[in-house]
Amino acid sequence: MTSSPDLTQDYFSLFGLPVSFAIDRDELGARYRRLQGELHPDRYANASSYEQRLAVQHSALVNQAYQTLRKPLGRALYLMELGGVSQNDMSRHQIDGGFLIMQMELREKLEAIPELMEPDEAIEHLLDEINQDLRAEQRAFEQAYNGNDTEHAISACVKMQYLDKLLSEAERLEAKLIDG
Amino acid sequence: MALLQIAEPGQSPLPHQVKRAVGIDLGTTNSLVASVRGGRAAVLADEEGAVMLPSVVNFSEPERPVVGAPALRLASQHPADTLVSVKRFMGRGREDALEEARRSHYCLSEDAQGLVRFTTASGDVSPVEASAEILRSLRARAESTLAGDIDGAVITVPAYFDEAQRQATKDAATLAGINVLRLLNEPTAAAVAYGLDSADQGVIAVYDLGGGTFDISILRLRAGVFEVLATGGDTALGGDDFDNVIVDWLQRSSGKDSIEPGQHRALKALARRTKEALSSESSVAVDLSSIWPDAPGVTLSRDQFEALIQPLVKRTLRACRRCLRDAELDQVDNVVMVGGSTRVPLVREVVSEFFAREPLLNIDPDQVVAIGAAIQADILVGNRPQSDVLLLDVIPLSLGLETMGGLVEKIIPRNTTIPVARAQEFTTYKDGQTALAVHIVQGERELVTDCRSLARFELRGIPPMTAGAAKILVTFQVDADGLLSVTAKEQATGVEASVSVKPSFGLSDSDITAMLQSSFQHAQGDKQARHLAEQRLAGWQLIEGLRAALAKDGAALLDAEERQLLEDATAALAALLEGTDAQEIKAQTESLGRLSEAFAARRMDKSIHEALAGVAVDTLAEKVGE
Ligand SMILES: Nc1ncnc2c1ncn2[C@@H]1O[C@H](COP(=O)(O)OP(=O)(O)OP(=O)(O)O)[C@@H](O)[C@H]1O
Ligand SMILES: [Mg+2]
Repeated sequence: MTSSPDLTQDYFSLFGLPVSFAIDRDELGARYRRLQGELHPDRYANASSYEQRLAVQHSALVNQAYQTLRKPLGRALYLMELGGVSQNDMSRHQIDGGFLIMQMELREKLEAIPELMEPDEAIEHLLDEINQDLRAEQRAFEQAYNGNDTEHAISACVKMQYLDKLLSEAERLEAKLIDG
Repeated sequence: MALLQIAEPGQSPLPHQVKRAVGIDLGTTNSLVASVRGGRAAVLADEEGAVMLPSVVNFSEPERPVVGAPALRLASQHPADTLVSVKRFMGRGREDALEEARRSHYCLSEDAQGLVRFTTASGDVSPVEASAEILRSLRARAESTLAGDIDGAVITVPAYFDEAQRQATKDAATLAGINVLRLLNEPTAAAVAYGLDSADQGVIAVYDLGGGTFDISILRLRAGVFEVLATGGDTALGGDDFDNVIVDWLQRSSGKDSIEPGQHRALKALARRTKEALSSESSVAVDLSSIWPDAPGVTLSRDQFEALIQPLVKRTLRACRRCLRDAELDQVDNVVMVGGSTRVPLVREVVSEFFAREPLLNIDPDQVVAIGAAIQADILVGNRPQSDVLLLDVIPLSLGLETMGGLVEKIIPRNTTIPVARAQEFTTYKDGQTALAVHIVQGERELVTDCRSLARFELRGIPPMTAGAAKILVTFQVDADGLLSVTAKEQATGVEASVSVKPSFGLSDSDITAMLQSSFQHAQGDKQARHLAEQRLAGWQLIEGLRAALAKDGAALLDAEERQLLEDATAALAALLEGTDAQEIKAQTESLGRLSEAFAARRMDKSIHEALAGVAVDTLAEKVGE
């Protein structure tokens, strides 16, 4: 008797969802909770230690899959990985100068905020701006991905990574401003 | 061959119809034990009818520790032998604990791993041993109320407890002879106590200000699933600190700059009574004559008190704000108040103002954690097979590794849902290198020195290769208790490198064994009888689980031969359980366990498919992004 649950299927299939950038977040959440309802170690608190170990592994995998697919950037990077694009291919990608200049401007704005008279409003504004840019890149990614245009998909992915990093820095500053 | 008895659904043929499970709130100031009986969760009282056990242990007489209220009465006589607020020392190094100890007038030493020990008349005592005494007392209370041995317990810890503090708590339970079903975060327990009563849907903030710790957690309750969205807090902020500011104020206003340990204890008790009285009165006269006969009487008004604690209360709101942001929310549906210090009117005011919600108070804030833990224990022990309640908790602090230059590389960020596993690849940086040192830390800061050191280990036996050629995959796994385990493997050659994890904090297994042995020596009860009882229980649990599984899935997942094999082995174990050979029972339990592994794996596979069955993929709405 040998058999063990298939931990190698892709994250979309794990949730019974089509491999696609478009995703229904509510449906993903509902399926996630249903799966955890079956696999979580709490369901195996009285089971054999083998079953408990198995449950921890499965439950951890479902958590990992959920975290990956939940956010657009994670999903995009994962789709690239499934398509055989490596981290290396990504880091070799040349970004256009226009985008880099725009990034530098956003970064300068961020650095200037603590000195402003009304830093709270300024940070709100900047967060909106970054989020807008992010959404534009998400749309660009989806179009490129659906059209099998790997070059543009990579480009959108890399830009999303830049913007995401900037967003977390801006959020950290926001946190500092709130905490006073 | 004996025919196998198959249980009807919802009916158990076994001796343990309803298992005895308890929830334990091991608090800084007070500890409680609760249990579900007749479908209702309630706290258990001692012989005198008291529900709260003061978390105090006196070690004046060797071998005869005194726990609870009687210990408290010995405190001013034997300040150094009477340990209070031990929880604040759990899993702490001596350095971390010095400030605490100065206030409490303990004499500290440290063990080989740099962990704190208290020097008492009974010798050196670790915080783990002192906590085990408290747990033992609660266990005895539960066993006499429930008239039998406890099958398992859920023990609560502050959500903000780190790995070392959790491990120390689990060690204490093991020492006290308690089977820990789960370590549960206190705020999550409180949410369970409320959520299950009212079958609520929505977002709940749990604000827990106890004696020594502050916790804030935000949870979403949906379809029976409690999902912890974010958690935060401060492991060194609570009612004790309110007492301390009053002590300082009393000292200042009576112009005393040095005090004796015994006086300090008395002053602190006075401060605490004053504080508690101020929750219902607008000013309190403090009589200091028993401490300093020459001191003039002073009066503390509620306004003055509120001004003194204002900075501390503000600190809790900062944590609330951060937690809301981490949860990506700007409001909540309900606020639950937990902990004795939420009786302070100023605390209630600012918290309800902050969340713009009147807090829920219908369950006693002192008992709500123990009650939630009892409910979860009842579920985990298997008394509610139909329950679809599930708790999805998170890790409170990031886990990371030391990299070049003393910097931390985060592996698992805080607020990640557990259980979680992450793998990280390492390589060698020198030609011919055969060992690699790994240092695991916990915390949010960038420098290793600002984080808590959890474990160091070394991968040895890496085959000599050129620098960068070896590929070592290190896997970190945090289980549902929030406890970490690490495994490592050299990939390129397939050679498994040997890993030795040396915890910088917590007890090693051999420490526990040694302590267990010494405590068994003066513990009553026959060790052998206990061993047999434990093996029997493990055997029954396996049979019970397997029979239920066979009844449900045996026909579908096993062929006739496989099924016969399992049934025979089950029957063999059942027969052995009638006898008294613990050794044989153990061996057969293990062998049946191994035999059923493949069946278990198939069942889990089936669960996955069933969980998603009936949801057609093409019904999904096409939505982009979030
Ligand atoms: N009426 C009251 N007014 C103000 N404070 C009170 C009142 N009653 C109790 N307290 C304080 O509550 C604290 C104890 O709270 P609680 O029993 O919830 O803590 P604990 O669970 O032991 O600690 P922790 O949760 O931090 O481990 C003490 O500091 C006590 O002085
Ligand atoms: Mg508490």
